[in-house]
Amino acid sequence: MSESGNMTEHEVTMPKADPNDPYALPALMPSSADRAPRSFSPDAFKMPTRRQEDWRFTPVDRIEEFFQLFEASGATKVTVSSIDGSALSDSQVDVRRVAKDVAPSGTVSKPNDRASSVEWASAKDALVVQIHQDTEVPVLITVTGGGLDLDALHLVIEVDDRVHADVVIEHQGQARLAEGVEITTGEQSHVSTTFIHEWTHDSKHVGNHRIHVGKEASLRHSVVTLSGDVVRIRMDQDFGGAQGDLNMLGIYFVDPGEHMEHRTMVVHNHPECKSRVVYKGALEGKNAHSTWVGNAMILPTAPGTDSYELNRNLVLTPGAVADSEPNLEIENGNIIGAGHASSVGRFDDEELFYLQSRGVPEAEARKLVVRGFFGELVEEIGIPSISGHLMATIDRRLAKGETEDMQHVLEGN
Amino acid sequence: MATLEIKDLYASVETKEGRKQILKGVNLTVNSNETHAIMGPNGSGKSTLAYTLAGHPKYQVDSGVALLDGEDILTMTPDERAKAGLFLAMQYPVEVPGVSMTNFLRTAKTEIDGKAPAIRQWTKDLSGAMKKLRMDAKFAQRSVNEGFSGGEKKRAEVLQLELLKPKFAVLDETDSGLDVDALRIVSEGVNRAKENTGLGIMMVTHYTRILKYIKPDIVHVFADGHFVKTGGPELADELEESGYDRYLPEGANSESALA
Repeated sequence: MSESGNMTEHEVTMPKADPNDPYALPALMPSSADRAPRSFSPDAFKMPTRRQEDWRFTPVDRIEEFFQLFEASGATKVTVSSIDGSALSDSQVDVRRVAKDVAPSGTVSKPNDRASSVEWASAKDALVVQIHQDTEVPVLITVTGGGLDLDALHLVIEVDDRVHADVVIEHQGQARLAEGVEITTGEQSHVSTTFIHEWTHDSKHVGNHRIHVGKEASLRHSVVTLSGDVVRIRMDQDFGGAQGDLNMLGIYFVDPGEHMEHRTMVVHNHPECKSRVVYKGALEGKNAHSTWVGNAMILPTAPGTDSYELNRNLVLTPGAVADSEPNLEIENGNIIGAGHASSVGRFDDEELFYLQSRGVPEAEARKLVVRGFFGELVEEIGIPSISGHLMATIDRRLAKGETEDMQHVLEGN
Repeated sequence: MATLEIKDLYASVETKEGRKQILKGVNLTVNSNETHAIMGPNGSGKSTLAYTLAGHPKYQVDSGVALLDGEDILTMTPDERAKAGLFLAMQYPVEVPGVSMTNFLRTAKTEIDGKAPAIRQWTKDLSGAMKKLRMDAKFAQRSVNEGFSGGEKKRAEVLQLELLKPKFAVLDETDSGLDVDALRIVSEGVNRAKENTGLGIMMVTHYTRILKYIKPDIVHVFADGHFVKTGGPELADELEESGYDRYLPEGANSESALA
């Protein structure tokens, strides 16, 4: 991307707002960013209720324990390896536990709600995974839940300048986990992070990702949430310089009674950055509930912004509820684009009939349609070992409750 | 040699105003190698007949049978009907986003035949059939019917007809929305299928235009939910001349029949 000698520096001079005529310069009117508190101290945040905008869709009574400082069980197991099992060298990937207030831990913004500040305050230390060299095969971080005693995990992923790295973070087992993730990528780095949440059906997971994309760097941040009683992930991001490229992809699969919530908060604070957010979910059965809230804020300092966000929901059976809310806050008129799309659709009986009329049995036809719904998104993840792994995970998820024969057919596909 | 026998078929559909009887005693026998043209005014129930035979959940069979070589397909699920040898070429083929044509066709072929086709032969058959229908090879990689033009959708239907090799095909207004060239190409595909497999055809249409390319052995007039007249190819010419008015119930016209 970089062509030396051909770079232009952008200087942004901020005009002064006139308090007597605020509409003359709408970009200088107060923005939601000015009001949103950021603090490491839980006391800085009110106790969440459903009357608060950020918690409007969340069943707060089911995750109350995440709002009070707690004694972390320390039972969560974390391992770091390469995805094919080969050894990682220290010069390539440095894995270390540090006190949580030792950099790079605690450097990517600050907690932004009660749950994330409680996670910070309750976590005993931080696990830092620092990537110094290109990864030939993706790095796999496995987080295995240690049961239903509340635990806190603080994970920091840092990638050096100009490094190409892929990281897969897999969550599994039974857990009640408050998780804070800081991701910071260097200048001109190209990074993908793929988070998979495949918890037991009684698990609860409240996560907070704070993401900083380096100057002229690209980050593909993917989240796949397949199971868990309550999973709520809030992701806040900003750019460290011009011409950053952020791609956020999400897939979720919600069973009866489960609540899965993903909040992507993209901030354009530098010129000529690009962001794409694409989240897709399928919901099945009574009281399956998903929430996607996509915020995109384009600050006065970000001319040439190109931003787009999309959320689609596929309701497979009646009784499920999908909330989908894109919010755009645009404080700069000099941009390439800021678009959004959002939909909640029922499973299409006509599609099903069409496939059936060609000899495909109903159960398999349903799977073809759901695979099709997610397939493009999975392919977009673009790394064969990751998308292959994901498609296999989705197939496994789709095959749940099927006969052995059908599982065989599906996995043979 | 196969036979499809529809006997005294009554079917209805649920509407906001309650249950509405659409098919009112349909009787028809189609043999292999026969082409039947089913003509009639809008709203007479021609498409309902097509979809009822294929098993669309919207239509409820009240009485009657449709025997394919003696087995009543009306008690089967839509996929079982397809496996028994029935194919419906739809007037408005459905888009299935994210499912590639090639994956879909191979899945369907595997289901219909009960085993996966040998890959080399299959690839050859697919590209050969697409070529004859003047379809770009890129089509196979696109999602099923997604973003296809009207003419492309109809070609894709006939492509499936040629590859799946059913015993009987119902063509529901396959001629609608086609220009002259596309009509000829699509018709040639149907004729090839008949020549190669002895396909029995029920061709639902308003217009006689397609009959120039796909020659019917028998022409039926369908009105008010059942067959009211049967004749040879000359009946189509008569309809072209005088229209359907005389076959409609008293006081109705082809517009009110739509209601």
